[in-house]
Amino acid sequence: MSVVDTTLIAGYTVGDGLVLAAALFVTLAVAMLYRAIMGPTNQDRVLAVNVLGTNTVVILALLGAALGEPWFLDIALVYALLNFLMSIAISKFTVERGGVI
Amino acid sequence: MIATARIGLIAVFVTLGLFFTFVSTAGVIRLPDVFSRAHTASQADTLGAGFTLAAVALTLGWQSATVKTVLLLVFIFVTNPTAAHAIARAAYEEGIEPWTTGDDRR
Amino acid sequence: MTDTPAGVIVPVTRSVTLRQTVGYVIQRALDQLADGEPPQIHFVFIASWRADDPGSTADRKQADELLEQVTTWSQFELEAANADPDSVTIETAVIGDDDYRFSPTDYADLLTEYAETHNSSHVVIDPEYSLVGHTTLLEPFEFELQQRDLNVTEAPVDRSTRRGRLVDPGSPARFLTLFGGSFLFYQVLGGFSGLFDIVTGVATALIVAIALDDVSFYRDPTLTGSPKRLLRAVLYVPYLLYEIIVSNLVVARVILDPRADIDPRLTKIRVFVGSGFPLATLANSITLTPGTLTVKADDQELYVHSLVPFARDGLFDGALERWVRFVFYGREAARFPSPLDRGDTEVLQDPAAADPPESASAAAADGGVDRGVDTQEGDR
Repeated sequence: MSVVDTTLIAGYTVGDGLVLAAALFVTLAVAMLYRAIMGPTNQDRVLAVNVLGTNTVVILALLGAALGEPWFLDIALVYALLNFLMSIAISKFTVERGGVI
Repeated sequence: MIATARIGLIAVFVTLGLFFTFVSTAGVIRLPDVFSRAHTASQADTLGAGFTLAAVALTLGWQSATVKTVLLLVFIFVTNPTAAHAIARAAYEEGIEPWTTGDDRR
Repeated sequence: MTDTPAGVIVPVTRSVTLRQTVGYVIQRALDQLADGEPPQIHFVFIASWRADDPGSTADRKQADELLEQVTTWSQFELEAANADPDSVTIETAVIGDDDYRFSPTDYADLLTEYAETHNSSHVVIDPEYSLVGHTTLLEPFEFELQQRDLNVTEAPVDRSTRRGRLVDPGSPARFLTLFGGSFLFYQVLGGFSGLFDIVTGVATALIVAIALDDVSFYRDPTLTGSPKRLLRAVLYVPYLLYEIIVSNLVVARVILDPRADIDPRLTKIRVFVGSGFPLATLANSITLTPGTLTVKADDQELYVHSLVPFARDGLFDGALERWVRFVFYGREAARFPSPLDRGDTEVLQDPAAADPPESASAAAADGGVDRGVDTQEGDR
C-alpha cells in the first residue's frame, strides 16, 4: 500500500489531501489572474503569468503524485521550460531596442 | 511509525508551500509597482514551489520519478531568477520608475 | 624620430581594464618625459550618438563623467610616481557626435582626423575597448588604424583580460563534459530503462555535444578545479536555502502585517566576483532571495532593487558575494571586506530628495542616516 492510499481522516486518503491542495493552488492562481489582466504595465502581466506558470508546474506535480501518474512530472518539466522561454522572449521584445539579454 | 511521520511531513510541507504561495499572491496583488511585485513573485518560485515539490517527492517515495522533482526544483531555481531579472530589466529600460515611500501613486 | 609628434591618443569606454590602461599610459608618458620629450595624452570618448538625439544629454553626461574619472586616475598615477602634475599634458574630448558611426572604418577615420589636428601619431588601446558595444570589432579597428600610419599599441594589462567570447573553439574536455552531462540528463528523464534508452541517449548527447561544444563553457573544465568548484557549490546550497527562508519570512511579514510597510529603494552595488558565470550566479542568488532583485547588471555594477531595510543591510553586508567568491575561487578569496566597508554601495532613491535619481550622491549620504532609522523601526 503506497502512501497516497493511506487513510488520513474520515475515509479521505493522502491522495485526496493532495488534490485539495492542488485545488487551493488553482484558487490562488485565479487570484493571480487579476494582476495578469489588470496590468497596469506589460511587465506586470508577464510577471503574473510567470508566477502562474510556476503554479501550474506545482499543480501538475501535485496531481501527478495524488493520482499516481508520475509522468505528469515530465509535462511539468516541459511546462517549466516553456514558462522560462516565454518570460525571456516577451521581456526581450517589449523593450524597444531588445537590450535585455 | 515512520509512515505516520512521513505523512505528517507531507502535510506540513504542503501547508508551508500553500502559505508561501498565498503570501506571494497577496503581495503581487497588493504591492504598488512591478519591482516590488517581482520580489514577492520569487517567494512562490522559491519556497512555495520548493516545499510543495518536497512534499511531492516524499509522496512518490524512492522511485525514478522522484529524481525528476529534484530536477524540476533545480530547474525552477535556476530559471526563475533569470526570468525575474529579465522582466525587471525590461521594466527598467522601458523607463518605469521604481516606487519609493513618499510617491503618491499606489 | 625626433620630429615624431609626442602626443598619445587613448580612446576610452567604460571597461574593467580601463584603470590599468590609464596606469600604463601614464607610465609611458613618464618614460617619455625622462627622454626629454614633453608628453601629451588625449583621452578620447567616441560618441555613438548624435548631439541632437533625444536623450543624448544623458549619454553626454555619462561620457563626461567617465573622462573626468580617467583624469582623476591619471592625476593619482602622477602623484604616486612623484611626478610634477603639470609636466604631462592631459586633454579629454568627446568626438564624433555630429553623425552616427557604424563600422571600425568610421571610427578609425574619426580618430585619424583627431590625431592629425592634435599632432599625434600614437594610439594606445585598452584591450577591453568596446566599439559600438562589441569587443569583437577591436581587431579590425586596430588594423584600420595601422593602415592609416598610426602607431598602435595595445595596453599590456595584468590579468587575462579578454572575456571569453561567446563562441570559442571547442576542446575535448568540454566535449566530454557536455556529452556526459546530457547523457546523464537523458537517462534521468528516461528512468534508466534499458538498452534502447542508452542508444538513443548516446545519439542525443552526441548531437548536443557537437552543436553546443563551442558555446557552453567559459573555461575548459579540469579534473582538479571543476570537481572542487562543484563541491563548494554543494556547500553553498544549504547557506543559500537558509538565506532564502529567512528573507522569505521577513518579506511574508511585511506583506501580511498591515502595519509593517515596505520601503523599496533602488541601490547600486559594485561587486568583485569576475564577469560571466560567477556574476550570473551572484545576480541570480540575489534575485532568488526575496527582498532583493537584480534589475540591471552593468559590468561589475549591479543595480539591485531592495524591498525592506533588512534585505538592504544583508545585501550591503556582502555575505552572498563572499560565498560566490568562495565557490569559484576558494577559501582565500572569501576573506574580503563587505561592500559597505569598501564603500561600494549607494542608495539611488531617497524620498527626502525632490527628484531621486538626479541626486545620487546626496541620496547615498542621506540613505546612510535613513537606514539607521529604518533598522530601529524594524526592531520594534
